Amino acid sequence: MMIAIYILIGISVFFAFAGVTGMIRMPDVLSRLQSSTNITTLGILGVIVGGILYSIFYLKDSAMAIKLGVLGGFYLLTGPISGHALGRAAYASKAVGPEDLNCDQLKEDLEDD
Amino acid sequence: MDWEDLALMEVFLYVALCFIVLALCLFYRLFKGPTAVDRAASADSIDILTDGALILFALYSGRGIYLDIALVTALLGFIGSVIVARYVEGKL
Repeated sequence: MMIAIYILIGISVFFAFAGVTGMIRMPDVLSRLQSSTNITTLGILGVIVGGILYSIFYLKDSAMAIKLGVLGGFYLLTGPISGHALGRAAYASKAVGPEDLNCDQLKEDLEDD
Repeated sequence: MDWEDLALMEVFLYVALCFIVLALCLFYRLFKGPTAVDRAASADSIDILTDGALILFALYSGRGIYLDIALVTALLGFIGSVIVARYVEGKL
């Protein structure tokens, strides 16, 4: 069981490292937002699932497992929402120009309203 | 090599240290980032990496009180990034 926890935490560290590298080195605003999504979903979820397994099988503390489950559900719920809001803000503040995009369907949707 | 012996203590602390170093690397994007959206996204990511380190420290010390702090930090970071996004979009 301990090996499974180590593997989950290792996956989490790998994805957090990949996300940080992408956020520092990507050339574009939307690419950097995509890399930050890498951190906020898989980078933290491995730690949370490993922590649930550890707190059930080793610490024998179910309150910690429940709190970790609430935290994981919260991250899964709020990551896409904040990413969506930040993407719309990047479009509206002209940080993403027409030269960065292949097709611009948000503009058509905004003109329909 | 016995995995169960290695178990309990040190590994969680070292991984938490890795998370803290990654969060410190993100301060580069927070200070430099060309647009406000970059700064908001990197601040949100720093928040979440800090939460990861806090969760690992809670597992290391066996106390659940750190998880409450992580929950409050996650809530405040989400509200902050959404409010910054709405303000930059111009709808606040």
